[in-house]
Amino acid sequence: MAVHSLIRSFGALLLSSSPRVSQITVPPKPNCPWQFHAYCNISTSAVLSTSNPMWKCQIKYTTRPIGMKKTGGRDHTGRISVHGIGGGHKQRYRMIDFRRMHYQEGKEQDSFEEKVMQVRYDPCRSADIALVAGENRKRWIIATENMKAGDIIKTSTQIGRMAVLAKEGDAYPLGALPVGTLINNLESHPGKGAQYIRAAGTCGILLRKVNGTAIIQLPSKRQMEVLETCIATVGRVSNVEHNRRIIGKAGRNRWLGKRPQSGLWHRKGGWAGRKIKPLPPMKSYVNLPTAATRV
Amino acid sequence: MLCLRSPAGRAVNWASCGQRRTKMYYGPRRPRGPLPRTPWTVRGPPPGAKLPWYLQKVPPVREQVPELDTVTYEGKMYRVPWLAKPRRQQWERGWHDPRFDGPRPGALPSHKERPCYICQQLTRLLEGVKQALWLTKTKRIDGLPQQILSLMTDTANQLENQDERVQNAISHARFWVSSEEEIMEETYCPVLLEDLLHLCTTMAAKHPLLAKRMVARDFRVAATWERESILLQVRGINGKLLNAVNPLEPVASKDEILTTENDVLETLYPIAPTIDLQEVNIYETRNDTGFQLGYPYPHPHTIYFAHGDKYHRMQPEQLRAKMLMFAFGNALAKARVLYGDKPRVLEKPIVVQSVGTDGQRFQFMVFQLNTTDLDPSHGVKNLVWIDADQLLYEKARHRPQIRKKVVTIPAGIHGYQPDTFKKFLAFYLHGVV
Repeated sequence: MAVHSLIRSFGALLLSSSPRVSQITVPPKPNCPWQFHAYCNISTSAVLSTSNPMWKCQIKYTTRPIGMKKTGGRDHTGRISVHGIGGGHKQRYRMIDFRRMHYQEGKEQDSFEEKVMQVRYDPCRSADIALVAGENRKRWIIATENMKAGDIIKTSTQIGRMAVLAKEGDAYPLGALPVGTLINNLESHPGKGAQYIRAAGTCGILLRKVNGTAIIQLPSKRQMEVLETCIATVGRVSNVEHNRRIIGKAGRNRWLGKRPQSGLWHRKGGWAGRKIKPLPPMKSYVNLPTAATRV
Repeated sequence: MLCLRSPAGRAVNWASCGQRRTKMYYGPRRPRGPLPRTPWTVRGPPPGAKLPWYLQKVPPVREQVPELDTVTYEGKMYRVPWLAKPRRQQWERGWHDPRFDGPRPGALPSHKERPCYICQQLTRLLEGVKQALWLTKTKRIDGLPQQILSLMTDTANQLENQDERVQNAISHARFWVSSEEEIMEETYCPVLLEDLLHLCTTMAAKHPLLAKRMVARDFRVAATWERESILLQVRGINGKLLNAVNPLEPVASKDEILTTENDVLETLYPIAPTIDLQEVNIYETRNDTGFQLGYPYPHPHTIYFAHGDKYHRMQPEQLRAKMLMFAFGNALAKARVLYGDKPRVLEKPIVVQSVGTDGQRFQFMVFQLNTTDLDPSHGVKNLVWIDADQLLYEKARHRPQIRKKVVTIPAGIHGYQPDTFKKFLAFYLHGVV
């Protein structure tokens, strides 16, 4: 009892000498997630499982697989952005180098060769991937149809007067390839990295070359016009049998991380049935003003 | 009811303030300083293009008047949205603390401009033996040398009840070493190697010279050499080293050594031979056998690699490459002690054997260091005899296979191959008999 009273008296002393506790402004307690972030300036808003949204942005390239977290179809704000995703087998991400003409630091070559060490399955995409090694570097690229371990593939930026006789798996600028070549892993701007024709079994056709540009037929039969310095790989993407595989049962789709559809009955609308519509016009990536000129 | 409604009301008030006054925006937190360089594997923007929307800052509502920024909410001690964010000065320690700042770049005395490529015990060479042959300037011969084969076939050099005792050793390692149902590789692999070595030491009754041997573990070898003006090193802890008082006699004769001058080393084009080696700038160029000068067992005889660790698992090809690199490293370190640092063709070549195992299959290797003149690719080469992938047994079953209540395959060791232990024993007896 005596101790208690002593503490009380000390407390009174403290209160009298120092500013009142109630006067010191306490930061407002967050009462909704938005405010919480504004308060502590950390984006934990998104799903907790994707706690590090920068996980893909690590600077150092590595061929080692990186552990991934399941998103469940949620984006970084925590809301569902894609329905029907969730569960499935654990997958690991392998960094694919989509920029095929990605020379090593300090060595700016016109062309170089690499050796295929391994061709393997990749859970993150429908195509197979290949581990290629050249000089002191190893990297993953998308495998083409007949690529196998031990092959030597070439990458070049030179556009000569004559069209090259390209082997499958080689990468050349579109201007160097003969018209009618099957290509894949196409980039829309030179040096950007391949973004087109990467799915399993697909290929585009080089239709024609017009003063400094090349016109390609995409797998969707749409035509696309890019600069002729854009680099593409010759051949067809691997895993051609991808669209013929038999899922077999609903559970296998769950293994792949796909959830069932809602099951609610919907009246058939315009989405059902055959549609006849003209092909969209040719997509041109040639004369687009760059971001620097726009601003 | 009121209590329930009040939080909802607050939320509505907050949302209906019209303008977004906060600097907060959705998306990943923008890192301080310059943005990290996004790899091209992520669909990054092309150079000069706009950033993705979530990395762009929302244009703030407040007027961007620099005078306004002088009024901050620093004194309020909490965030006030209509006041400027206080600029804090970056705190500097004022002195260099190596605990937190690390050593100053280039300050270490061992920092050098020229990179060195280091092979250590966890290095997995991509091209395997082919790469190791280039790095060590070695010619490969498949099969074992005649001396070992004659030791192997001689029945006088065998234990009594050899097969039974070896099978007991396998059973010990695979079944009896612990009471667990499944014994992991990292357990049984070293145990098997120990047991087989123990069986070998029992031959000391017949050959008294065998008693003058010593097994060393956790010694650190260091060997430095240059190969086509690439600085290379073999460093660190490797397997168990069996040391002997007397050196091993050269396996290949002088004529055989001279004929290696005509051999051409296989190149690895388009791969650089230093791929997968560790590239460092902070290093010392050392040559060290790992033993002091007066050590009574100075000559390396055999290195035993008990492979088996699930985190550092190696393919057999990679294990062979590692065995070759370390046999070479030990031999080179010994040669530097005996003959000095000057590159030359050795009068008496140094022979180091190495045996590697993953608990089931054995890799045998005899390495002979003929020359320390490794820089040019022409001239006398070193020699290695490789006997790869020798199974000691095919299968060790913990449980019998039972089909329709009849035991089809009994538990135990299947497919025991006696030749493998004979080779193991011949490697041990080499140099004594």
